[in-house]
Amino acid sequence: MKLSDADFEILRDFIYNTCGMFFTLQKKYFVESRLTKRMEKTSIKVHGEYFRFLKNGSAGSVELKQLLNDLTTNETYFFRNPPQLKAMEAQLLPEVAIPKEKIGFRKLRIWSAGSSSGEEAYTLAMLLLEKRESLLKNWIFEIVGTDINEEVLKKAEEGIFNAYSVRHVPENYMRKYFKKESADRFALSPEVKKLVTFKHLNLYDDNKMIFMKTFDFIFCANVLIYFDTSSKAKVVQHYYNNLQPYGYFFVGQSESLHGVSDKFKTVHFPGGFAYKK
Amino acid sequence: MENNSKMLKAQNLVRGVHELPTIPEIATKVLDMFDKPNVELEELAETILVDQVMASRVIKIVNSPFFKPMHEIKSLKRALIYLGFRQIRHIALTCSIIEAFEGKTGVFDVKTFWEHSFGVGVVAKIIAQRIRYPETEKAYIVGIIHDIGEVFLSYHMKDSFQQVVDELKGTSQSFIEAEEKLLGTTHCEVGYCLAKNWNFPVEYCDVIAHHHAPANASNDPTLAAIVNLADLFCSVRHLDYGGREWVSFNLAEEPAWKILKEFAPNFVDLDVERFCYELDERVPEVQDLVNSLFEGMIK
Repeated sequence: MKLSDADFEILRDFIYNTCGMFFTLQKKYFVESRLTKRMEKTSIKVHGEYFRFLKNGSAGSVELKQLLNDLTTNETYFFRNPPQLKAMEAQLLPEVAIPKEKIGFRKLRIWSAGSSSGEEAYTLAMLLLEKRESLLKNWIFEIVGTDINEEVLKKAEEGIFNAYSVRHVPENYMRKYFKKESADRFALSPEVKKLVTFKHLNLYDDNKMIFMKTFDFIFCANVLIYFDTSSKAKVVQHYYNNLQPYGYFFVGQSESLHGVSDKFKTVHFPGGFAYKK
Repeated sequence: MENNSKMLKAQNLVRGVHELPTIPEIATKVLDMFDKPNVELEELAETILVDQVMASRVIKIVNSPFFKPMHEIKSLKRALIYLGFRQIRHIALTCSIIEAFEGKTGVFDVKTFWEHSFGVGVVAKIIAQRIRYPETEKAYIVGIIHDIGEVFLSYHMKDSFQQVVDELKGTSQSFIEAEEKLLGTTHCEVGYCLAKNWNFPVEYCDVIAHHHAPANASNDPTLAAIVNLADLFCSVRHLDYGGREWVSFNLAEEPAWKILKEFAPNFVDLDVERFCYELDERVPEVQDLVNSLFEGMIK
């Protein structure tokens, strides 16, 4: 169903204000098609009526989650956020590593929160491996992936991925770190796998969150959008506390922390930004 | 500012060029008109009609895909009515500057350069609106022309400017750092000398000179800060004309941010993330506009 510009703006402002994810006008047709699908499922014929339904108590918030799932495609893949990776390579890794190298503290800790099947955590592991002959020679890497869903964690530990997952892996990484077992089955090399530990963790669990200490970088993409503002603020406060004083925190593409925490400083780089402690 | 060594060096560079680009008279007239409150459409039409080349360009541009008129527009006057008073002034001014450097090959791609310039113009105008700066049009125009010093260096100091661009590759140095190292001056001072030479109004010259150090602006530090921030935002939102391998900034540490917060204390509440995403939305629009300008430039 055709979505007018005015209705698109109503929906995108509602999603931004409740979830902290911004859809640009260029994504209008994508939003329109996903929205149409959800409206068919809920048998609602008019946009205005569907928008009112989204605001309608617990049924509305369940539906909002479904819509968000569809809008974020709810599937992860390797090298998902190139501007972030480029920022890590070009600036943030050297900025964090060089002072540590000077005092002989050669250890990097990275947390992929809401890791799902591990693509983000493993992408970061490969990025670090590529630096082990230069910037990160003789360094120890500790990458932790956490998720609330045991099943995806099992998948992450297996390290077997389908063609969709690996479709953006650069050629040289593909050759080095993957073994193609069939057209739709790619096995990650043990060298990458051993750098990442996966753990079950509920981000709401304060008692466990306080033990996730001393990270240099924390990544949390497409997770906070499902939380209400006060839970978001609580989780982000944990991230803040668990970062090293010079650490960085990243959210996903088109996500925003505005109104959630004003403790971080926003550092801009081409195509994105990071939050600095 | 005029006495320091960078400025002297820039003066020498600009004077040393045998055929200094001349800007069509119309550009200066158009700029003057900004300061007159009651300029009539007729007056603008007459000014443009004096320059037949310009008049035909304006007609080409109005018929380009960016402006999409329902029927072909054939007369200048109808073009002026269709585009509106403001839009036409921007187009006339920009065409004049492009024209001043036409027919030469420069170091960088002109189209990307103008995308950056128009991007800075658009973003400067948005920032000006947000902080309730009284002259948003001025912010737009000065945003468009802030880097004319780079255009001059790219065309008239080709070899040394190529060295600057080479020096930047693979580093996070800024243009001004590399220019100062290799040329002893920067595009800010060069742009200032050129703008003076073209008799641009003093507030425009001031921003061109200080858009990288807005606190030093003597005329209007707020306007310089607006352009400085717009420039920074464009450099990270796909509207950069390159050279540098890497660019990043931390808003809280930017002097321009401090100046604007003093001008408009509520600016501190700006939703920076949303602001960035909204700028991403404007990128194709800026690219379309520049495309249509260049289509109009083909004789």
